[in-house]
Parts: sequence; structure tokens; C-alpha cells
Amino acid sequence: MDAMWARIWAGFTVLLVVVLVASLFAGALTPAQASPPQVSPAASQSQVAQTKAKVVLKLLAITDDAQINAWKEILDEFHKIDGGKWAYVDIAFETVPFQDLFPKIESAVAAGSDMDMVQSDGPDMKHYAFYRSLIPLDKFFTADEKKQWLPQSIEEGSYRGVLYGPPMMQSCSLLMYNKQMTDAAGIKPPQTLGTSWTMAEALKAWQKTTTRPSGSSVPSVWGLRWGQGTWVGDYEHGIFRRSNGAKGSPTYNGVGPDGITFVGYMDTPESIEAMQFYQDLHRKYKVTPIEAIPQIFETRKSAFMVTPDNRIGELNRLYGEGKFPWGVTGIPYFKSQLCHTGSWHYGISPNTKHFDEAMAYVKFASSDAGARIWYKHVRQLPANVALLNTLPEYRPGASQAIWVEAMTKVGVPRIQTPGYTEYQQVFAEVSLNIIAGADVAEQMKAGAQRAQQLVAKYKGWK
Amino acid sequence: MLKRAVLVQHVPVPRASSFTHWLQSAMQQTWFYTLGAVVLVIYVTPFLWMILGSLRREVEIFQYTYPLTWRTFVPVEWSLKNFLDVLGMSPEGNSFGLNFGRALANTALVSAAVVASSLVVNTMGAYFFARLDFPRKGFLLLFVIATMLIPFEAVMVPLYIVVRSLHLQDSYWALILPWYASPFVIFALVQFIGEIPKELDEAAIIDGASHVGVLRHVIIPNAVPGLVTTALLEFQFIWNLFYWPLIAVGSKDLQTIQVAIAQQTTQTQVYWGRIFAGSVLASVPVILLFLLMQRYYVKGVVMSGLKG
Amino acid sequence: MSAVAAPAIPQARRWWTTRRRSYAIAFLFIIPALVNFAVFRYLPILAAIRSSLWQYSLLGGYGQFIGLQAYARMLQDPIFWKSLQVTTVYVATKVPAQIALSMGLALFLARENRFAAFVRSAIFAPVVSSIVVVSVIWALMYHVQLGLINSIITSVGLPRIAFLSNADLALTAIVIMMVWKEIGFSMIILMAGLKGIPDMFYEAARIDGATRWQQFWSITLPLLRRVLMFVVVTQTIFSFQVFVPVYTMTKGGPLDATKVIVYYIYQHGFLFQDMGYAAAMSTLTLMILLVVSAVQMRLLRSEVDY
Repeated sequence: MDAMWARIWAGFTVLLVVVLVASLFAGALTPAQASPPQVSPAASQSQVAQTKAKVVLKLLAITDDAQINAWKEILDEFHKIDGGKWAYVDIAFETVPFQDLFPKIESAVAAGSDMDMVQSDGPDMKHYAFYRSLIPLDKFFTADEKKQWLPQSIEEGSYRGVLYGPPMMQSCSLLMYNKQMTDAAGIKPPQTLGTSWTMAEALKAWQKTTTRPSGSSVPSVWGLRWGQGTWVGDYEHGIFRRSNGAKGSPTYNGVGPDGITFVGYMDTPESIEAMQFYQDLHRKYKVTPIEAIPQIFETRKSAFMVTPDNRIGELNRLYGEGKFPWGVTGIPYFKSQLCHTGSWHYGISPNTKHFDEAMAYVKFASSDAGARIWYKHVRQLPANVALLNTLPEYRPGASQAIWVEAMTKVGVPRIQTPGYTEYQQVFAEVSLNIIAGADVAEQMKAGAQRAQQLVAKYKGWK
Repeated sequence: MLKRAVLVQHVPVPRASSFTHWLQSAMQQTWFYTLGAVVLVIYVTPFLWMILGSLRREVEIFQYTYPLTWRTFVPVEWSLKNFLDVLGMSPEGNSFGLNFGRALANTALVSAAVVASSLVVNTMGAYFFARLDFPRKGFLLLFVIATMLIPFEAVMVPLYIVVRSLHLQDSYWALILPWYASPFVIFALVQFIGEIPKELDEAAIIDGASHVGVLRHVIIPNAVPGLVTTALLEFQFIWNLFYWPLIAVGSKDLQTIQVAIAQQTTQTQVYWGRIFAGSVLASVPVILLFLLMQRYYVKGVVMSGLKG
Repeated sequence: MSAVAAPAIPQARRWWTTRRRSYAIAFLFIIPALVNFAVFRYLPILAAIRSSLWQYSLLGGYGQFIGLQAYARMLQDPIFWKSLQVTTVYVATKVPAQIALSMGLALFLARENRFAAFVRSAIFAPVVSSIVVVSVIWALMYHVQLGLINSIITSVGLPRIAFLSNADLALTAIVIMMVWKEIGFSMIILMAGLKGIPDMFYEAARIDGATRWQQFWSITLPLLRRVLMFVVVTQTIFSFQVFVPVYTMTKGGPLDATKVIVYYIYQHGFLFQDMGYAAAMSTLTLMILLVVSAVQMRLLRSEVDY
């Protein structure tokens, strides 16, 4: 019996040595060697038949029913432009849930997949550009054409001043509320951006709308849900720390001018003070639950919610068009008011074999006509200025006008760095620790250090 | 009767009077049903909430989670809409091209194919390890088990590269071929085959049976509980795979059920109704399979002293 | 097999002994599986191990050769050590609890009875339920303010407990959920093992007047040893690689209390653009598990043959 085990241990050692040595030779698995330009039967046919044969563009996009319908209608219209010149172009959709898009793109890039177009998230544009996972599209747009989009979109879609992908839409988070609940509490949220609440004023409203049944310590309605879903991403939660700095201060900027320094920007006394308030919202004032609750605002269990205007679409879906009594007010602030901007961009993969077709599609989709179709389906703040100015719901005085005003006056892109994903992971962990009651100063200081270590590899990207 | 051995309960002492006999078995019965009921509550409560949640209007699902009343479980408004949506049988489901029926069929096809090939290939492999003579067999078994030891997240992309270089991506083959042999199943069957008395195959060999003959007539009939169990576990493993089908297969026609469910979480909304309905649709077939198969792996013990 | 290549018959004769022939036939039985493992498992594993020696990211591809630096870096990475500790605690609590409970349930429910069949199916249901939905339901049950569990706790006058937002309890909460979810998995393997034990042993024991406990210790346990060893080894392997419940419930927090090793590997590989480091940690996981499995197999090896 022991002899057998001695053999197994010997085998184990041999196995390790073999594996280590063999791994040195396993280089055949790097994509450069593993995937020589593969000409699939379909592709070679299309090359033989020149332009008239069907070209299928592979598109990697996020799962979203409305967005897919938008892509499709844009394609239909695309077939009609330029006298039907592009009628031979078709799109094969590959959709993945939002949180899996990034890993999916990485896997596709690492394996040398032949995708053509990629739906890219605004804050990731610099990341993709840094790793050359997108083709720069700057030279295909004239200066005039670039003016059709909001400047924030241009900044988000650019890397070293070069545009990598035009925007699909824009966004900006404001404070939405349930009118029934604010009316019941006798609260009139300010209706113009200029008169927005400060955090201290908003806190009073959140406290007033937090209702506890008598004898219970658990609210039946909470005052506040800050942010979409149940996560603590930088898009909404990162606003606290930046808002507590004067415009242009390190706290407000959030990251050093080199885009990789966090110490002295993320862990300033103002930033710590803001995150202390953030902790108090959960633990001291108890106006928002410590452990997030799914659909808390949608199921009328919170009076206020910080969210972009895409929430309106969901409320309409759940309750029927216009049935949910929502209202909106400016986003609360400490010293400087700001909302984070940013949304999706069109991207073209360097692996594409159909660049002309993909480019023509992207160009049409991001034009006025394409943006109009997109809005019809998706109903989210357009990045296209001309469209923004013609939509009735965004006209001055209309129900969603404040989003346009906020976008143009207080909308700032999230911190601009190729290491945004790394930073956001650290920031979200720090935020969860703070909600769980950890020491705020300690957390922010450690978080700044850690984020800085993780993004040090991007040194000199600017 | 006697041959069915006693595993968990006492056999009545022969001399006991019929009253003590009755009392004893009544106490056993009470004990069994009470404990069983406790286990049942712990298990059924969350599951029942999911099933009843799938029969609610979506906005209701999280509406009544607290305070805890009977409303937490029982829908205010019963609705099949979530199911009609995911099966593409309602206007909404149709306009978004939802087709969980197709996804279920894909998953069933892939899981069945893997289980079928797994039963052949892994049984042969396990027979090799449990019975056949070969130098360095222990080392080879380690080589097989070692493939389970690395986190899948680390090998997923290299595996995708392998599958792409074989031109298998975006096909059923990408979902079947990498899994047709399983270290888990081989390792399991080595144990189950190991428990079959060796004298049985030796007798068969003396009678002139080949390896294939021994495998067919001795090993397989005696290893049925192990084979059925591992087949079932292999089936649910493939059935529940999520990350691999997501990466390896893009086309919607090949989508598996877990991917289809995950697709109901978008950046801005979570379609909880569809997720609950999809999850019910995904788990019910496998539970039924479990029920159908259980006579093969459950040892029946007839309750002694129980009349009817 | 290489006999085919041998030109001269007499030479081949000498080499091609009966023993070699029987080896060759035996080998035919394992070839189909080995081909699968070589192509679909070892090639990727080797690629992963190789990438641990380079600076490697999914988007950026291969950079500099850094040798064993990634392994040296692990030694100095406090979060890595923390994640190893968290994982160990997870495995050391979850696996024994799960196996003890599934053993008990397998014995308890091994009877031909509709009620028992129903309970068995209920226990198996979570095994085949989507972990995402299970996580959502448990997160609600654990919820500090509105969860079912806290409703019960407060109804008997005890103070509310934060489970998932509490660094001291978050891991325990996940262990309990995963034991609940996976008991059915180990239970059915043990049931199949029980079915394989011949009834004559129990009959003999009964004639000798053995009690239920004595029967369990002297018959069931020794004869189930192989299957039990298998369950212990594989559950240790699977539990060491736990990822999804952490990803969906706590994201590794709070205060890294649930940052299991595979979550940390995932973060580095897919979010921090550092697949090389992720591969190094994965390679170490492979080695740890190789040693752990070998030790378990040795300690629990079957001594009884019949």
C-alpha cells in the first residue's frame, strides 16, 4: 500500500516537472500563432464575389431588447441611404449581459475573434484605446460633424485627443422622486437646477419621507436610494467625493492630471468628509438601507432615487405609460454641483475585414437620422445636440428639461483614465466597506493607494 | 422482507408485545415525519417563493417581501405573463424575440449528448483505472484528477482559443466536445466500480469473457446506481453551465437556458419576472429527471411494522 | 503500438510480449478520455501556466518574460494571503458541514415512501436552481432590516443581525447558503453508495445483536469509505474554487471578508488586465489542491475489500 503511495508521490513530482517544462513550449497557444488569418468559406466567397455578395458584420452588444430593436431599424434605414448602396450589409448580433460584456470583449480580443463592431462603454474607451482594441475613427469625422455631439461625449470617446468612437447617447443622474410621497410629507422639491438642494437640505427631505410604522425600527418607506440597481458604482456614488471640492480642486478633479494619481485626490480631507456623510446616510440618519433592496424605488419603497432618465422607461413598462407619479429635481451637492455623464459609443474592432461597411454603418447610426431612431426605441438622453433641441420632452419647461440643463451646466465625465475599471473596483469595495461601518479615512486612504498601484502600469498614457 | 436490511430504524424485538411494537413504530413514524417536515420547510420556503414569484405581475415580486405576511408568498394578482413572455407567446415576448423554449431544447440537446458520450467514454476510462493492469496507473489517475484543480476562470480563454483553432466556436460542438469526458465522472466511477467484488469479473474471465464482455455483463449491471447518479450530476453540470456557453457561442439560435436567463439583466433594468419564470422552467425538468431516476439510486428500506 | 513501426518481425516478437499486448488493449479503454483531457484541458492549463511566466493581459497580449516574479509577488500581496485564508476557512467549514448533513439525510431518507421521495426532491431542487436567483432569495432572507431570518430572530426578542454587511458573519452566511444549495449533490452520491452495500452485512450484524450505531460505524462507514473519500475530495476541490455566490452577493466584501481566491483571480484576470498574475495564482491553486487531494486520498483510502 505504501509503495503505491510512494509511486503516486513520485508521479506527482514528475507531473509537476513535466507540466512546468511543457508550459514553456506551450507557446503555440498564443493567438498570433494559433489563429493565422482564417478564411472561413463564407468570407472567401464574399471576396471572390466582390461587393455584391452579402457582408455580415459581427456586432458585440449588450443585452437590451429596446437597443436591439434600435440597431435593427437603423440597419433597415441604412439600407436605403446612398441609393441602396449598402443594401448588401447585414448584422449578426451577439449580445451579452452588461456585466459580462467586458470579459466577453477581452476573450474575443485574446482569441483573435473576427468581430467587426463593438458597443463600448464610455469610461472604458480609453482602456480599449490604450490596448489598441479599437480603431481610431477621428479622421472620418470633420470638425463640423464632431460638433453635432455634446462636448462631454467627445471627451469620453477620445484618447490623446483622437476620437475612437462616436456616442450613441448620453446620461446624467438627477434626483427623481415619488410625487405622492413628497406631497404626503409636504415637500416641494426645487424645480430648477439653480435652486437645487444642497446635501444638508436634501437630507431633511429624505428624513421626512422615511416612514416607520409605529413600534417598528424598520422603515416601510425609505427616503433615498442613491443609484440604479443594487451596486455602488462610481457613476453615481463617485459624485459624493467630487462634489465636496471647489471646481478645479484636487477633490473635484478626482484624479491627478496624469490620470493615474489617486493619492492626494481620492483621499483629501474633503473627500473623506463627503464619504463620512455617505456613511451617515446609511448608519446614522438611516434614510437608505444598509443592504440594497432590488427595485426599491420602483416598488414604492423609497421616496427618492438618484438615477438617469432611463428610469422613466422602466416605470412606464412596469406601471403603464405615465401611471407612476414621478418628479425630478437637481442632484444634491456639497460645494460644487455635478452629475457624472457618459454612455455608450460605437466602436470598430481592428480585426474587422469589412471596415468600409462598418464605418458607413457607424457613421449613419451616429448621425441625426440614426440618433433619432435610437431615441425612439431607447428613450434616453441623446448625445446629438440637434436632436436634443427638437424633442418636446426636453424643451425648456417640459418634464425632462432639467436633464438637458444639468447635462450642459453641471455634467462632467467620470475620471478620465485607462485604468477606470481598476479604479472602479477599488472604489466600489471601499464604498461597501464604508457602508458596512469601516473607518472612512482609513478606507479612503488605503483605497487611493491601492487604485494607484493598480493603474501604475498606464504611466505615461497621456 | 427480511432481506431488505434495516438501515435507520430498529427491527422490532421478536418477543415484544403487539402494543409495544405498535408504540415503537408509531414513535418512529412521528419522529420521521416531524424531522422530514422541518427539512422540507427549510428547503421548500425559498423555492416556493420563487415559483409563486414567477406567477406574479413583475412589479409585485419585491413589493411584499416585508413585512412578512401570507402576501409575501401568495400573489395578489395571479399571472402567466412572465411565462408567456419568455416563451415568446405574448406580444411583448414576441417583439423582443424571446424564445426560452428553443433555449431549453438547446440545453437539453447538449446535456443529453454530453451524458451519452460521457457514459461510454468515462465508464471505459473508469474500468481501466479500477480493473485493468497498466504501469503507472496511479500517476495517470492523478493526471486525470489534476484537470479539475485549476480554476475555470484561468483556463476559459485558452480553452476558447483551442476551440477556435479547431473551428468549433459558435456551434453545438463547442458546447459538447470539450466536456465529452469528465474527470469527475471517471473518478466517481472508479469508486463505484471498486466496490464491485473482483471475484465476479474473474469468474467471467474464466468463462472466456473479453474486457468488453466483463464491462457489459458484470461491471455495468452492478454499477447502475453509480452510473445513474453520475449521469444525473453530469447532466445538471452541463445544464447549469453559464460562462462557457456565453463565451464560446454567440448566435441566439444556440443560446442555452442559463445564458437566456442572464440576458434578462440589462444595464438599466432587471426583468425579474422573466428571470423567475426562466429559473422555474430551467429547474423543473431536471427535478423531474431526478424523481424519475431515483429508484435506481435510492436503496429502498421498507418501514417495518407499517401496515399500509 | 510502435511494434507497427518495427521493421523486423523477430525483433518485434521480443518486444511485443503478452504483457505489452494486454497493456495496449487496456490503454485503448482510456484513450478517448485522454484525448479529451490533452486537447481541452491540458492545452489550456499549459497555456495558463505559461502565461504566468510573462506579463500577460487579455487585451494587451504577451509582454515581457518575467520568470517567477508573479509568484514572488504573491508572497508579498497581503490581499492574496487574505483570500487564501478566506478560502481555507470556507472549505474547512463548508465541506465537513455539508458532508455530515448529507450523510445524515441520505441515511434518513433512504426509504421507499412518497414523503421521503418528496423531501429528497426538495433537497435536490436547489442544486439545479440558478445560483443567481438563489443568491437573490438568500440575500433577501438574510437582509438586516427586512429579511425572513431577522423577522424570526427579532420575534423571539433578540437583536437584529447584519449578515452580509458584516465582516464577521458574511462568510458564514455564504457557507450556510452553499451548504443548503449543495447538500443534494453529495446526498445523491452517498445514496448511490449506500445502495451498493449488500444487505447481508446488516443481516449478519442484526443476528449478532448490533445496535443502529454499531451497524453504522462497523458496516456503513467502512463500506462507504471509497464513496465518502470521493465526496470529500471532490467537494474540497469544488468548494476551493467557489466564485459565483461571492460575485453575486458580496463582491468579496465587506473588508475582504469574503474575497475568495477565485474572485481575486477573476478580478485580476478580467478587470485589472493582469491575466499573468491571475494565472500564477491559479497555478498555485492547482498545486495546493493537488497536495490536499493526495493527502485526503491517502488518509481516507479504502482499507476494506470484500
